[in-house]
Amino acid sequence: MKLIAGVDIGNSTTEVCIGDMQADGSIRFVSGASRMTTGTKGTPANVGGICAALEEAMDKVQRPVSDIHLVCLNEAAPVIGDTAMETITETIITESSMIGHNPSTPAGAGQAVGELIFLEHLGEGIKGQPYIVAAAAVHTYEEIAGQLNAHHGRLDIRGLILQADEAVLVENRLVFEIPIVDEVRHIRNIPEGKQAAIEVALPGQTVRMLSNPYGIATLLKLTPQETRSVTPIAKNLIGKRSAVVIKTPHGNIRENILPAGEIYLHGDREAMVNIDAGADKIMAALEGAGLIRDISGQADTNVGNMLSRIKIGMAEVSEEALDAVRITDILAVDTMAPVQISGSLAGETCMEKAVGIAAMVKTKQLPMERIARRLQRELMVNVKVAGVEAVMASLGALTTPGTQLPVAVLDMGGGSTDAALIECDGTVRTTHQAGAGELVTLLIQTELGLKSRISAEQIKKYPMAKVESLFHMRLENGQMQFFQESIDPRYFGHVVLLTPGELLKIEEDIPMEKIYNVRRDAKRKVFVRNALRALREVAPDHELKAISNVVLVGGSAEDFEVPEMLMEELSEYRIVCGRGNIRSSEGPRNAVATGLVLSYLGGK
Amino acid sequence: MEINEELIQAITRAVMKEIDKNGQSGGGSLTGKTRMMPKTSYKGYPQAVKGSDPKEVVIGVGPAFQKEIKATITGIPLDDVLQNIRAGIEEEGMVSRVVKVLKTSDVCFMGLEAAKISGSGIGIGLQSKGTAVIHQKDLYPLSNLELFPQAPLITLDMYRKIGQNAARYVKGEKVTPIESVNDPMVRAKFQVKAALMHIKETEQVDPEIPMIEWGKA
Repeated sequence: MKLIAGVDIGNSTTEVCIGDMQADGSIRFVSGASRMTTGTKGTPANVGGICAALEEAMDKVQRPVSDIHLVCLNEAAPVIGDTAMETITETIITESSMIGHNPSTPAGAGQAVGELIFLEHLGEGIKGQPYIVAAAAVHTYEEIAGQLNAHHGRLDIRGLILQADEAVLVENRLVFEIPIVDEVRHIRNIPEGKQAAIEVALPGQTVRMLSNPYGIATLLKLTPQETRSVTPIAKNLIGKRSAVVIKTPHGNIRENILPAGEIYLHGDREAMVNIDAGADKIMAALEGAGLIRDISGQADTNVGNMLSRIKIGMAEVSEEALDAVRITDILAVDTMAPVQISGSLAGETCMEKAVGIAAMVKTKQLPMERIARRLQRELMVNVKVAGVEAVMASLGALTTPGTQLPVAVLDMGGGSTDAALIECDGTVRTTHQAGAGELVTLLIQTELGLKSRISAEQIKKYPMAKVESLFHMRLENGQMQFFQESIDPRYFGHVVLLTPGELLKIEEDIPMEKIYNVRRDAKRKVFVRNALRALREVAPDHELKAISNVVLVGGSAEDFEVPEMLMEELSEYRIVCGRGNIRSSEGPRNAVATGLVLSYLGGK
Repeated sequence: MEINEELIQAITRAVMKEIDKNGQSGGGSLTGKTRMMPKTSYKGYPQAVKGSDPKEVVIGVGPAFQKEIKATITGIPLDDVLQNIRAGIEEEGMVSRVVKVLKTSDVCFMGLEAAKISGSGIGIGLQSKGTAVIHQKDLYPLSNLELFPQAPLITLDMYRKIGQNAARYVKGEKVTPIESVNDPMVRAKFQVKAALMHIKETEQVDPEIPMIEWGKA
């Protein structure tokens, strides 16, 4: 009876597995545990997390930690991942030429054209001239409606722009019908005396005339030249419930392409790619460059700064000289980020193009021996560094019922996606690719414009529902779920995440369908792309069809939809692919730790 | 300094002497006075009935509302308070109706009574001192959708938003809680006035006539 512990230090969790060596030389697994990794993977700070996990595992079998005969640490792959995001376009409104937003309750419907006039100056209005009135929040709705009604017979009032949220209130008190746009925050910036077109969409629809360049041209009588210049305005108004376009001689809106810069790939072949080209081109260039030694960016550009930030960060955590840190792989993903338009009148946002990059840094050998010595001192048990991570993961994965050699193991963690292929003769090929769970979180956060990284992380992890009344909610797959007791009123009308045990509400006002699409897209862009990339790398002759079995392990394999996505994708190549079930009980976690315990058998 | 009963009695005597000298005790003694205000009878007023409009939000005001009490604890005229709540409901495209709850002076029960006769099942309880609650007909009395307990801190803008939020519950939209200030001193500062206003309101409770239509606004 000898207790053997396997310890796997990952980027985000530290996992242990305890095996009991029987007299006949077989191993019986008795316990396991998982804890957050303390400090950066591969540094002596990890010892705290390891001790906690070991204690937890031994507590489960009511034995002291000192009963352990040997602790096996994995030879962690010396790669650390990081992610960054940069917008590469920017929209600027010069002068006040456009308002386009989604106030919750505009009023009236239809389009109108007229000269802008403030409510205070209605008395000076000229008969026969069509007007669009702008009213600040200092005037009450009674006052505004009264004034407009009083001038109605004399002046031709076509539309109304309000600062306060009172469109319906004013409309209900008007004796005539006009479209009304409200909640325009910076109403004083509206240029009086200019021609403007206003549009409010019918319920359930979005603006049609003002989101069409020819529509704007029709309403404001533009020349073909001017029509060309309003195209970006029209583009920005697509999908809005209400809009105002103001004809100013110099006013314009333009989309700036930021100096996003070029990426230099130093590999078997030198390659260079502009980040504007998009993620597909970048990835193609990366493939074309062969084995990568280092990747850098053009100095003083967004991407250059981004890559150097990653390197500086990595140099700090790995305590290496900056020039010794080399980026050996990147994964680029196209995305959109909602950014507030500079110069906007109502706080409008615009979806700007952005690129998300996960980079992987190869460091020198990680100081695993130092961790081992420190652990030995603290626990007073034997500790040894045994086995390469990928091999151990494969060994552990093979405890999944129904697997056989040759098998490919896809380890999807937080920072990197690793693949290993074991042939029947025992030869192993491995690869590490940048980009995994953390990049997905970053994509979700940017595309939905979430303030906190934590809520993005939770959106990634759990399915959603919308609380439609106090007694029922609609799940994301369309099903209804009813309750006997009322749901906590705080959740009313919110999109909630169904975490085990409690509901978590999403504070931002984003429709469930949009969150659903963004979440699935992000996972597909990162995991599916990376899985194919990694498997192709380890496959015989880089031919996916030559792989027959793929076992998914690692934290991200626990995701509720990623394994299904991969299964669908890989079934095209006739690959048997599924989530691992380590030791028939652990699910996709604990593969490396289990492998380490098993390796003790082989090592003996 | 030691505070004992003797000292307190001495202080009380001194204060009473001063009051008597200045004639501040409201013209004579308080003996025999049991009410703050004479009771208003609402006999003959139309009883409030259950509405059928699914867009309806019912505002249930307290027994002394706009009658014995005309302004909130901080002096905001109740006419303006009601007008702003109703404007908030209207801006969201819903319909408001005002009833006077006479069977209770507790804000949560008032809100629940209003919700029960509301066509949408959403009601607002509004005490004369300004405390408000948004309620739903199927909830327990002391639970609620949103409670605004610190009457002295509620402004007219907030009353507008209370109306808007109530209407958004009707529409099943996501409701953002109203931003409000919190002042721990407010309780101490207004405790006496709040108690007196509550007594004034409770005096007008009439279990015989539970709820009447209150078109006046």
